[in-house]
Amino acid sequence: MLRNVWWSCVPGLLAVSLFGTWSPSLIAQTSGKGALTGRVTDASGGAVANATVTATNVETGQTQSATTGPNGTYKLDVAPGNYRVQFEAAGFKTLEIPSVTASGTETAVLDEKLEVEEPSTGKPTPAQQENLPNAPSSSATAPSLEDLGLSPEQTRGNPQEQALLDKRTHMLKIHQRMGLITTIPLIVTVATSLNAGGKSTSTASRDLHTALGGLTGDLYFMTAYYAIRAPRVPGTETRGPIRFHKVMAWIHGPGMIATPILGIMAFDQKNKGERVHGIARAHGPVAIVTAGAFGAALLSVSVKF
Amino acid sequence: MNRKILIAFLSLAIPTFGADSQWVLQQSTLTYHVSHPLHQTDGLSHAAKGKGVCHAGQCEFLIAVPVKSFDSGDSNRDLHMLQVTRGAEFPIVMVRTRLPESAAASATINADLEIQFAGQTVQYKQVPLQLETQGGEAHITGTIPATLADFRIDPPSLLTMPVKNEIPVRVDMTWHLQ
Repeated sequence: MLRNVWWSCVPGLLAVSLFGTWSPSLIAQTSGKGALTGRVTDASGGAVANATVTATNVETGQTQSATTGPNGTYKLDVAPGNYRVQFEAAGFKTLEIPSVTASGTETAVLDEKLEVEEPSTGKPTPAQQENLPNAPSSSATAPSLEDLGLSPEQTRGNPQEQALLDKRTHMLKIHQRMGLITTIPLIVTVATSLNAGGKSTSTASRDLHTALGGLTGDLYFMTAYYAIRAPRVPGTETRGPIRFHKVMAWIHGPGMIATPILGIMAFDQKNKGERVHGIARAHGPVAIVTAGAFGAALLSVSVKF
Repeated sequence: MNRKILIAFLSLAIPTFGADSQWVLQQSTLTYHVSHPLHQTDGLSHAAKGKGVCHAGQCEFLIAVPVKSFDSGDSNRDLHMLQVTRGAEFPIVMVRTRLPESAAASATINADLEIQFAGQTVQYKQVPLQLETQGGEAHITGTIPATLADFRIDPPSLLTMPVKNEIPVRVDMTWHLQ
């Protein structure tokens, strides 16, 4: 998270250092912060909430966006410059203003009206009121979100949180797929252990078991990486089967570390022609508990009990 | 003289204001249902807020529910639903409808619902809702035949198997007349 914040600051820091070194006169000209503000409405003058307003700096190509609030207003703090501004809202045609100048001293006001998008075929359709007997209207008597006691903070979108959720889901999807893939060599490793640890076992059987165990371990730690590195969503309490899934990780996680260590010890002892003895004898039981916990973790989020 | 004018004005005005009435959502349970080959899941919310304003025989209703308030019993699933429905960007589900005031006397209402959810506005026509009125209270139940495709939501998947497109939303609300 901190690393992401740091990387996102790098272009800004570079720009500051370049301007600071080479162009003090430019800093004097652009020290003021510009702003684009306004209200987005529909054809009847009603506020368009949740419209995305994107300003693209024509010179640098840098973009900045904001979402309109319940009353259709928005504000974008931008550096002085020339901007192309785009207004997008669900059910409306996208509107583009090709050139708007933001100065460091004055706020540029862009109040825009959006036209309703042509409806797509099929049912249900985007809101069209005229053909319906009791369709919603935007008359003066219609209650608003403010009337329901919802504050602008509650109704305003948070693109940063959405980006965090997107990243989390993306990483957990990989975690899930990797976990499924890991299950295959895990099962085969457990199955080949029957030929690897008995009295009449061959070196080839032990080598195969060791190789499969190594593959399982590698895949397992890749799987774990995506779960551990998936961003946490602040203020979320862990509830339901996912709690059991996480508890199981405290069993199969250490197990996946201990199992190969014990396995190497057992492997050495067997190769020396000795019987597996000492702590190495725990290799089998630890592996079984680990595989069991891994399977239980998988089932806990797959099947409803 | 001024007092007489004021009294005359008020006597005219009071019946006019008296003709308007408001409905307030007292309690509600909204439940979405998701079907997966391995799971059947219901997500519940009791956090809806609603108001209906009646004027000249027509009532305008607005119901708003925070997307985050839906609880399916598993925090991981709820976060995943929040992500796929773009609940952080569009935190409120809004339902609007307009009904004639006379509908309060019917046992079934066919309502045209306009739903804003996941950045999309979709209209469901003639959704049958059951109505029971008692005194100043109205109990409304029904199911909105929502689908993920209506709101351009990619079906979430588990073990590479996606959930069904249909996500019917069961509505159980008690309104109070003010």
